[in-house]
Amino acid sequence: MATNEQIQKQLAGQEYEAGFVTDIESETLPPGLNEDTIRHISSIKGEPDWMLDWRLAAYRHWLTMEEPTWAAVDYTPTDYQSISYYSAPKSKGDGPGSLDEVDPKLLETYEKLGIPLREQEFLAGVTNIAVDAVFDSVSVATTFKSKLTEAGVIFCPISEAIREHPELVKKYLGTVVPQQDNFFAALNCAVFTDGSFVYIPKGVRCPMELSTYFRINALNTGQFERTLIIADEGAYVSYLEGCTAPMRDENQLHAAVVELVLLDDAEIKYATVQNWYPGDENGVGGIYNFVTKRAECRGARSKVSWTQVETGSAITWKYPSCILKGDDSVGKFYSVAVTTHCQQADTGTKMIHLGKNTKSTIISKGISAGRAQQSYRGLVRMAKTAENARNYTQCDSLLLGDACAAHTFPYVEVKNSTASLEHEATTSKIGEDQLFYCQQRGLSEEDAVNMIVNGFCKDVFDVLPMEFAVEANRLIEISLEGSVG
Amino acid sequence: MSVAAIRRRAFDLFKETGLPSTRHEDWKYTDISRIQHVLSIDSSSTAPIDNHASIINSTAIADLDAYKAVLVDGVFDDAHSNLPEDVTVLSLAAFLNDMGGQAPDDIQRLFEVRGDEPLFNGLLALNSAKASDGVLLCVANNTVLEKPLYIQHISTQTNFIRHAILMGKQAEAEVIEHYVGVSEEKALSSLSSNVILKQGARLQHIRIQQESNQQTHIARVEVKQLQDSSYTLHAVELGCALSRVDVVVALAEQGATCALNGLFVLGGRQHVDHHTRIDHIAPHCTSRENYRTVLDGRSRAVFNGKVVVHKGAVKTDSAQSNGNLLLSKHAEIDTKPELEIYNDDVKCAHGATVGQLDEQQLFYLRSRGISAVAAQELLTFAFADEVLTSMSNQQVRAYIEGIAFAKLPHGAELDGLLG
Repeated sequence: MATNEQIQKQLAGQEYEAGFVTDIESETLPPGLNEDTIRHISSIKGEPDWMLDWRLAAYRHWLTMEEPTWAAVDYTPTDYQSISYYSAPKSKGDGPGSLDEVDPKLLETYEKLGIPLREQEFLAGVTNIAVDAVFDSVSVATTFKSKLTEAGVIFCPISEAIREHPELVKKYLGTVVPQQDNFFAALNCAVFTDGSFVYIPKGVRCPMELSTYFRINALNTGQFERTLIIADEGAYVSYLEGCTAPMRDENQLHAAVVELVLLDDAEIKYATVQNWYPGDENGVGGIYNFVTKRAECRGARSKVSWTQVETGSAITWKYPSCILKGDDSVGKFYSVAVTTHCQQADTGTKMIHLGKNTKSTIISKGISAGRAQQSYRGLVRMAKTAENARNYTQCDSLLLGDACAAHTFPYVEVKNSTASLEHEATTSKIGEDQLFYCQQRGLSEEDAVNMIVNGFCKDVFDVLPMEFAVEANRLIEISLEGSVG
Repeated sequence: MSVAAIRRRAFDLFKETGLPSTRHEDWKYTDISRIQHVLSIDSSSTAPIDNHASIINSTAIADLDAYKAVLVDGVFDDAHSNLPEDVTVLSLAAFLNDMGGQAPDDIQRLFEVRGDEPLFNGLLALNSAKASDGVLLCVANNTVLEKPLYIQHISTQTNFIRHAILMGKQAEAEVIEHYVGVSEEKALSSLSSNVILKQGARLQHIRIQQESNQQTHIARVEVKQLQDSSYTLHAVELGCALSRVDVVVALAEQGATCALNGLFVLGGRQHVDHHTRIDHIAPHCTSRENYRTVLDGRSRAVFNGKVVVHKGAVKTDSAQSNGNLLLSKHAEIDTKPELEIYNDDVKCAHGATVGQLDEQQLFYLRSRGISAVAAQELLTFAFADEVLTSMSNQQVRAYIEGIAFAKLPHGAELDGLLG
């Protein structure tokens, strides 16, 4: 029989599985941020002048902005001059032409994380998922490129898109999240290094799931990725995003921007499993995850859904939003957020109804344990033009332990008398009678809690793609380990 | 420290903070810059209203069996008041005068304003500095105020009033504050009511705001509840161009219960904003909130209901509901039900809806031969009236129903339907 100590050890080891560091030679810019840094990044990426000007405009605006303090999170502010804005694994030539040229250490890293980049090996051919792997500041590999090209889909690192498809990038970049949008978005516009670019042409249903896997490896760097997805008329794509980082005692900044553009009848499903390093049980280290995600349903009858499973990060500041401009467009937001130890999360969504007959659904499940702080902050706005708009919001919080906290800040603004809206929120702990029932049937307390939590999150897990649902389930079990009893 | 010194300090605090602006989170949806010029008018120069005896009689709730305190433009009117003999009901100004500025601590504390208290704003400090009068109600331990206390306010110009209600152990009372405006001049009514409920005390508190369409009404109701006390508020908003009421309740000891009910029936360009904050500080406390708004014309309502459950406030039971009915294309509602919870052993819920009348209910009424207009009016009325069902004083309820019903688009024609 394992001693108590052994079990403790085992648990401690299980806490953050992705916490290893890959020892790889990398090229890193010295810390500091000024216009030269931006010029440098731009030149490394071989960007055209218009892109550099765009970045500089964002930077100049950023200098006039102040870091927002309204979120219910408490952290040591980042010193923006002490971090490095570019880090990339050293490559031999102009970048890998095929997977064989990718540094085997990198492939190993992704394999350890369960993201095999070798196409033929993935899930024994049952499902095909094309992966874009972003390591620190650059994209290291994109799989299934040829198959996607056949369908007319463009799926590549955004730096490549700026060079190869400037007309598309110019047309859409910054139109959903403009350079002046907010402090972190402006910073991202100035210094973003890589990310994914997806364009699905008219009437095309993307033949496979697309996925980007973000990994922070280098010490003392910030990761600023930018994702732009455009679904043209009648197009469909399902996109998954995952993230991890090594365990470190310092806080690292991750300030990403994701823009989704949907034209008439288009549909995008965007799912995130966010598992950045959350810091240790005393709140030392961890990632600051300050992300701006926004979708704009420009076309009529377009549909967008954000699904997120948030278990990582020391501090989360994230509000995936939908601007429902097209008539009959639909926005959905499903979220499970788990905070344990000293994690703090301020997350939610915005649904801006502009078009007629627009519909939105918000399902948010928050689980707070240990000494964690969690807030749901949401906005539902129905403009004067939003005839017959509908919204349904449900945000529930589950509390585990007497030192954690959960808050709800829902803003509702309705300017149209034909709109209808329902908002419900509850906060409670796990029902003692439920726990008792499970334990009385022979389940351990921990299993019982897992089971109840799982049931609590079911509404959200049900809409995740199968592979992610399994991972999400497991992640939550690991996150909550040791927080019971 | 004397009361005068406390008030001087409050005035300094006002000068420091000024009026709240829409950049302030708590004032995001309500712009009170329009009262700036009202504040600069020296109200002491305007002549007092003539013939106020007839105004007092014509605006009062008829046939109400109650004690009565009348304030005209912020001054206690002894002649028209009818006060109980066994329970202390006084003019605050007269009381302070008698004490020669050395009021007991309990009374002094009523004037204290701290810049860091919940929902603090500059106007609160200004009220403390400028309050000319108010009603001081003290109900001694184990005493029941036999009849309700009806406080009638007549305002024709800017006035600052501060009330205090001190309820002793096991004391019971019902207080009705009725605000009537008879002037078509732009003016401000600034109110502050301080309520303290000792162990086991019970208070029914009704506030009817029915000032004239040019006036601005800015009020704060602050309640502190000790063990097993019970507080019920009905806040009814019918009049004013702009009305803002902050209700701040502290459930400071075990077993305290509060119920806040709000009803807004608005039209024209009326703007009403209620911010409520309930602090669950002690274990085993219960709070209930039910706010309903009916908005017509270009009116706008703002509701912000915040419940804070502090560490250690275990077995907290809190529920809040906010229903909103928009009758016109140009009406607007901004609602924000907030929960802040620092404890796991709680049961908290809130819900908010914005919508229209139920089609099926409308159909049912029409199938019984009731016209579409009448059916709509009836359902609208029923929606609003739900808030008043918990009111025990039937005379006051009937009075509010009458006024609210008349405010509905076709209400006047349908009066008969109510019986």
